[in-house]
Amino acid sequence: MSPVLYYFLSFTGINILMCWSLYLPYRVGQLHYLTVACMLASAYFSGFAAREWSWPFALIVVVGILIGILICLIPSFAIGDAPCFTVVIIGLTIIFILKTAVENSPALGGTIGFFGIPQVNHLLPLTYLLVVYAGAVIYRIDHSRLGRAASVVFVDKNTAAALGIDVKRLGMFFQVAAGALAGLAGTLYAFLIGGLFPEFFNLGVIGTLMCMLFAGGHTTMWGVIVSVPILEGMQLLLPSAIASWRQVIYALTLIVIVLVLPGGLVTKRMLLRLKGKVSGGISKCNN
Amino acid sequence: MMGKHTKSFAGLLIMAVLLVCLAGSSLGAPSAAVVDQWEIPFLNCLTGPIASIGEYMAWSAHRAAYEINQKGGIKGKPVKIVDYDTGVSPEKAVEQMARIVNKSLVSLGPVPEACIMAAMPLAVRQGLFSMTASTTYEYSTQFFPWTLSWYPPTDKHLAPAAAAWAKEQPKMKKVIQFVEKWACWPSMADAHADGLASVGVETFTVEVPTDAVTFGPLVVRALAQKPDGFMFTCTSEKVAKIIIELEKYGWKDKSKILIFSSADDMPLYTTGRDSLNGCYIYAYFDGAKETPRWKTFKENYKKDHGGLDPTSLSTIYYDCVYMIKRAIEETDVTGDPKKLKAERIMIRDYIRNMQDFDGIQMAWSMKDGIPSDKGSFLFVIENGIKKCVTYVEAWK
Repeated sequence: MSPVLYYFLSFTGINILMCWSLYLPYRVGQLHYLTVACMLASAYFSGFAAREWSWPFALIVVVGILIGILICLIPSFAIGDAPCFTVVIIGLTIIFILKTAVENSPALGGTIGFFGIPQVNHLLPLTYLLVVYAGAVIYRIDHSRLGRAASVVFVDKNTAAALGIDVKRLGMFFQVAAGALAGLAGTLYAFLIGGLFPEFFNLGVIGTLMCMLFAGGHTTMWGVIVSVPILEGMQLLLPSAIASWRQVIYALTLIVIVLVLPGGLVTKRMLLRLKGKVSGGISKCNN
Repeated sequence: MMGKHTKSFAGLLIMAVLLVCLAGSSLGAPSAAVVDQWEIPFLNCLTGPIASIGEYMAWSAHRAAYEINQKGGIKGKPVKIVDYDTGVSPEKAVEQMARIVNKSLVSLGPVPEACIMAAMPLAVRQGLFSMTASTTYEYSTQFFPWTLSWYPPTDKHLAPAAAAWAKEQPKMKKVIQFVEKWACWPSMADAHADGLASVGVETFTVEVPTDAVTFGPLVVRALAQKPDGFMFTCTSEKVAKIIIELEKYGWKDKSKILIFSSADDMPLYTTGRDSLNGCYIYAYFDGAKETPRWKTFKENYKKDHGGLDPTSLSTIYYDCVYMIKRAIEETDVTGDPKKLKAERIMIRDYIRNMQDFDGIQMAWSMKDGIPSDKGSFLFVIENGIKKCVTYVEAWK
C-alpha cells in the first residue's frame, strides 16, 4: 500500500474516533473538549510505555483507554450536567494543564518532544478493527434507552428531568465514554506518528474536529463517516497550491453547511427517510 | 615480414591506447542525468502562524534553483523546487511526506519542529534523506543518518556567542535570561548560561509564558534581582516588548542586552524600533558582507520583500540547494528511478561529509552530518541595522 493511502486511512480512522468522542457528549448538548486532553495523555503514556517499558501493544491500548476514562471521570462528577460553556472552559483548561505538565517533564521530552516510539505491525487493520468495534458500541448506545434519553436532554433538560431521566448521570456516562474513545485514539496516534510534540494537541485540533463533526452531521454517528474522509482527503487530492488553503476551505465548508444544512450532511431525519424507503422497497418486493 | 608484424603491432598498440583513453575519460566523468529535470520537494510552512518564515525559506530555495538553472542546471538538467505546505500541522506534514517519500531523490524540510517530529520518522523508515536545516542539533540527530544538522551541537556554538558578548561587558557579573519554553529553546538557554558561566557570569532565569501579552510583571521580577544584564531566548515580538518595558522601568545600558538568533526576525525590528539601539544580537550571517554573491542575493531579496533585508534563516535553504547540486554533480547520481535507493544513499553520504562547502555566507565542512567549523556573528543593533562586532568560532 502506498504511504499516502496508508496515512490517509490511518488518520481518517483516528479522526473518526475523535469525532465520535465529541459526538457522544454533544448528544446531551455538551462540547467536551476534554477529549483532546485525554488523547494527549494516552498518547504520551503509550509512547513512554512502549519505548521505556516495552509493554505489548494490546496492554497499552487497554491502559490508554483507562487513562482516557479516568481523565473524563474525575471532572464529570462536577460537570456531568453543567452547561455547554462550562464544559468547554473545563476542557480547554485541562488541555493547557496537561500540555504544561508535559512541557515540564524531561522524561516525556519536555518542550523538545518525545522521540523513538516503536512501530506496530498491522496498525492500519488494527485501527479499523477498533473503529468498527467502537462504532458498534456507539450504535448500541444510540439505539438504547440511553440514546433516546440523550435526545430529550439535548432538546430540554427540564423536560428530561420531568420524565425521570437522571441528567447528571447520563452526562457523566457520555463524558466517560468519550474519554475512552479519545484514549484509544491517542494510543493509535502515538504509534502511527512515532514521535510526540506538545504542540500536536492544540486549539487547531479542536477546530478541525469540530468542522468534521458539524459538517458531517452532529445528530447521528454516521455523519463523520462521510465528512472525515472528504476533509482528510481534500489536501491529498487537491493540488499543493490549493491544499495550502485547507483552513480556509474547512472554515468555508463549515459556514456553508451550518447555513444551508444546519444538521450537517447526514441527519437523523435523512436516515429515517432512507430507512423508510428501503423497508418500503423490501415490503413491495415481498408483496 | 618483420615490417608487417611491426605495423600490425603498432596498429594494435594505437587502438589499445585509444580504447584506454576513451575508457579513462568515461570512467572519470560522473554519470549523465536520465531525468528531464531535478525535482526537489520542500516541505515548508507556507500557511499558518509562521508562514512569513516559510515564505523566505521558500524564496531562498527558489532563488538558488533559479541561479543554478541560469548557469545550465545540474548535469545539464534544470532543477525545480516543488513546495509542499505543512501548515504547521503534524498530520499534514506526515501526509505531505507520504506523497514524496517513495519517489524523491532528496528533500528539503520539513519545517518547523512539530512537522519534523511528525514526518521525519516516515522519511527514516523509507530511507529518504531530508534536510531539516532550520532546526537545532538536538532534533536533527534524532533522525540521523537520514538528515543533517545545520549547526554544531548547541552547547558548542551558542555558548561561545554568549561568552563573546560577556567579554565585551567586563563588569557584568549577573545576567537574567528571559526564556520561553518552546521546542528546543530551553536547551538553547542552557547553552547560553554555560557560555556566560565560562567567563564568570552568573545566570538567572525568568520564564516568559508562551501566551503572555503583558510583560511589566516579568520585568519587575527580573529587575528585583538587581542584574547587570539581560539575555533573551523568546519570540522576536516578546523580546521587543520586554526591552520596551525595561526601558520604561529605567534600564538604560542597552549594550548589556543580548538577543538570541531565533528572535532575529521582522517583528523584533518593527516592534522594537529605537529601543533596540545598542542591543547585541547573535546570528548566522553578516548582512553587510561585501561578496558579489551575497550582494546579488541581498538585492534580489530586498526587491521581492518590499526593501526588507534578509533575515536570520533566509539563507539556509539556498545553501541546501547548492549542497544538493554539488552532491549530484560529484557522484554518479542519474535520477534513474530504478536506482533510487542507491542514489539516495550516495547523496546522503556525500552531503553528510561534504568538505569545504562554499556557502553564501561562509565556507564549512561536514563530518558525519555535523558541521565541524561553523560559527556565528555577534552584532550590535543601530537604527534597525546590525553591525558586526566579531565572528565567533564554535567550541571544539
